[in-house]
Order: sequence, then C-alpha cells, then structure tokens
Amino acid sequence: MVKMEWKNQILPILPARLQNIFATLSGQAAEELEEIRLRSGKAIMICTHRGESFVGLDGVTGNFSEAVIVTAAELQAVLLTVAEYSLYARDEELRRGYLALPGGHRAGFAGRVVLEENRVKLLRDISGISLRIAREVKGAGEALLPQLFCTRQQRVYHTLLVSAPQAGKTTMLRDLARLFSDGDQVKGRFGLKVGIVDERSELAGCYLGVPQLDVGMRSDVLDGCPKAEGMMMLVRSMSPQLLVTDELGRPEDARAVEEAVNSGASILATVHGHCLGDLMKRPSLAYLLRQTLFERIVFLSRRKGPGTIEEIYNGETVKSRLVAEEMGHVV
Amino acid sequence: MWFKWAGAVLIVLATSLWGNQQAAKMRRRVRQLEEFRLALRLLMAEIGYTATPLPRALEYVQGCLGDERVKQFFAEIVLQLGRPEVGDASQAWLRAVEVCRGQLSLRADDWPLIIRAAAGLGGLGRESQLKQLEAAESQLAGHTARVAENCVRSERMWRYLGVLGGAALVIVLL
Repeated sequence: MVKMEWKNQILPILPARLQNIFATLSGQAAEELEEIRLRSGKAIMICTHRGESFVGLDGVTGNFSEAVIVTAAELQAVLLTVAEYSLYARDEELRRGYLALPGGHRAGFAGRVVLEENRVKLLRDISGISLRIAREVKGAGEALLPQLFCTRQQRVYHTLLVSAPQAGKTTMLRDLARLFSDGDQVKGRFGLKVGIVDERSELAGCYLGVPQLDVGMRSDVLDGCPKAEGMMMLVRSMSPQLLVTDELGRPEDARAVEEAVNSGASILATVHGHCLGDLMKRPSLAYLLRQTLFERIVFLSRRKGPGTIEEIYNGETVKSRLVAEEMGHVV
Repeated sequence: MWFKWAGAVLIVLATSLWGNQQAAKMRRRVRQLEEFRLALRLLMAEIGYTATPLPRALEYVQGCLGDERVKQFFAEIVLQLGRPEVGDASQAWLRAVEVCRGQLSLRADDWPLIIRAAAGLGGLGRESQLKQLEAAESQLAGHTARVAENCVRSERMWRYLGVLGGAALVIVLL
C-alpha cells in the first residue's frame, strides 16, 4: 500500500509555494489521498475515498475561505515540469489529456483544446490539473483468483471485470496480473507469461516505459499503445499466456479480443458498467457476450470499499440470460 | 650591438605571437559556430526521431561535441533546468548564454543567432519545435559560412600584421 510515498514523487513537480503547502500535509488525509485537484483561480482540493476537502496554509480544511487559491502560472509550471520542459516529447499523451508521472501516478489536464482536422492537436491555456495518486493494493485479487483459474488446464478463464468508475477495477486487474504472473508454487499454480496492453498508463503506471507498479515478474507491458493493436502485437511478439487490458469498448477492441482468444491466449479485461444491461447497450461487447467469448463476468462495486465482488457470472449463463431477455422482448 | 638584435627578434616574435593568437581566436570562433550548428542538428534528431525530453537530449548533445566551451554551454542549460526559479527551457538557455558569454570566442553579432534557437524551446509540439530549430540552424549556417569566409582573409591579415607590426616597431626603435 502506497502511503506517504506519493510525496517524494508528487512534490518535485509542484511549484515552490504548493510544494511547501503539501509538504506539511499529514495525517489521515495525506495517507488516504487519492487525488489533488488544482484549478486556475480556484481553491486547492484533495479527494480521498471519504470525500473532498480544501487545502489551506495550515493543512486540510473544510472551510473554503481558508483554502489556498491556485494561479494559472502555477498550473503552467506543473505542466512544464511534468513534461520535463519538453511538450514535444509528451504531445501524444497530452492529446489524450494526461501525462504519466514517476511512481505510476497520473496528471490529467483540462484547458483549451486546439483542433486540427477534427482531431485534438494540442491542449493550451491549462485551467485544471488532476493529480491522481496510484494506489497499488497487493492482495486485492486474491479472493477472486481461484474463481478465474482452471487448475486442471493451468489456464485463466477469459474474464471480464465490470464496474462503475472508481470501484477498483484497475486495482483488481493489476493485482490479478501480478498474481498470475508470479504464480504460487505452493498452491500448484505456475507463473504465466502475461502481456499487458496499457493504453492509458494506468495499469502498470509506466514512466519512460518502465512499470512503476508491480505487475509481476513474467509480465511484458506495451505502454501507451492502442488496445486492439497492442493485443495483436503482443500475441505475435511475446507469446503471452494471459493478455491483460483495461476498458474495452471500441469495435476494434472486440475484434482483437476474438483474435487473441483464437490464438490461444487467455483474456483478462475490464469494462465500465453497472449491470449486464449496460454491456448489452454496447454492440461490440454484446457481440462478445453472445459469442460466449468471456467465460467469467465479474461485477465489482464500492459497497464494502473499492473492489467489492458483487457477482460472478459464467459466460454460458450470461448468454442464456441474454437470449431469454431478447426472446422476452420479441414476445 | 648583439642585444639590440636580440631585442628586435624578441619584439618581432612577440608581435607575431599576438597576431597568431588573434588568428587562432578567429578560427576558434568559426569552430564554435560550427559546433553550435552541429548541436542544433543533433538536438533536432533527438527531438524528431526519439522525442527525447530536453534534459536528456541536451546531455546527449553535450557528449557528442568536441569543443569544451560549447560543451560547457549545454551542460549549463541542463544545470539551469534543474533550478526551481527557472520557468522553462527558453529561460534556461538564456541564462546559460549569460553565464557562458565571456568564456566562448563568439562575437556580439553571433549571440542573437544562438539566442534565437531558444525561442519556444520545449513549449511547442514536435513538428513546430523542429521547424523552429531548423530555422535557427539555417540562419546560423548562413552566418557561419560568412564568418568562415572572412576568417580566411582576417587570419592571414592578423598573421602579417603581427610580423610586419613587429618589424615596423623594430625599425622605429633602431
């Protein structure tokens, strides 16, 4: 569990005034910090799983009038420091609205978007920065792992983790990747070659291509690579036994999942959603579910904290439910 | 009588040495301008091909250069980038100019071209950054060619001036 380690990685990217303010931040808020919100001309806010608070000169405060106001120059300074004074080196990431930081943390940006041929060319006049603290919860996937592993075949079932945002999908996925990659000799589970396609640098938290979070000793990470392309690249180049990727959704992702399954690799992926109905509204996912490509569909929530396992469905059960629902609709 | 001749020889030697030093300074100026051009080309390659962030790109450039003073200039930019009071890479470059101005053999008309390379440095997208550096490099190339041409003439002039100036002084003194 990352507790106060974030200070060593986040403080150096902040301008001197903000550095001094956050250096003195202590107690529960500092230990449970999930996000720092900096907005031009507005109060500094921090978020933990308990909620939001302001930050004043004397630390966390619930009183808005005591909060420290961030300037536009400070936001620009954060951007330049994060990008190592080289926006050209990070322009692809900036187009997507975020930059990876050392330690697996991420800086998300809001501001004025400049378009070129209907595509985001650059982000200028930064008006807001969200610094998301990466929290690695080792052991988060242990309870779920036995349900996803076929001991007889020594393989992972093709699995889809489903939850609403901030319910611990990525944390769960990362820990499962680590557990499958490391293996457990005692329990007769050999380590698997794991290929991770980390399009948004969230899973492995790569910084300069090196995973900052523990994703296992047999894991290979393709960082910043589009999922569909990355899955195919890994299948061809690294022969993974398990392919791990975050947030499926686009039609090309579904095609790549199908290809990967046919190549013999197991798939472990996540998707946003609350229930099966949500998944069925997305044609590419509905297609995968009807094809029974996923053998396990796991629903997570925050009910008892992030990563609460709500339900685990068998792929066949989901298919028959979907068929029944569709028949019902027809009738 | 012999010490008069010895003195005359010493005078001619000293003025020739001075003339040679001036000529060497001219050559050094051309060499340093060429080194700056090379540095800009290397920097463009680092940006265009590998999109290396400036601190590492500048360190790489520094390692490829031959002239110690120019190397020091690029080391100074990296040093400045690490200072909290420096806001961006342009500022770091300009500060390095201030620090290294006296240590290089460049003249007042060379510096505006070196300074021009700092415009927008690190604050632009890859394409624009390359265009900007290309423009700076091409201006520097034109300027360096003119300086090199002058240098051939001036070098000879300083050498002759050294020897002949010494000889003239000897004649006057004798």
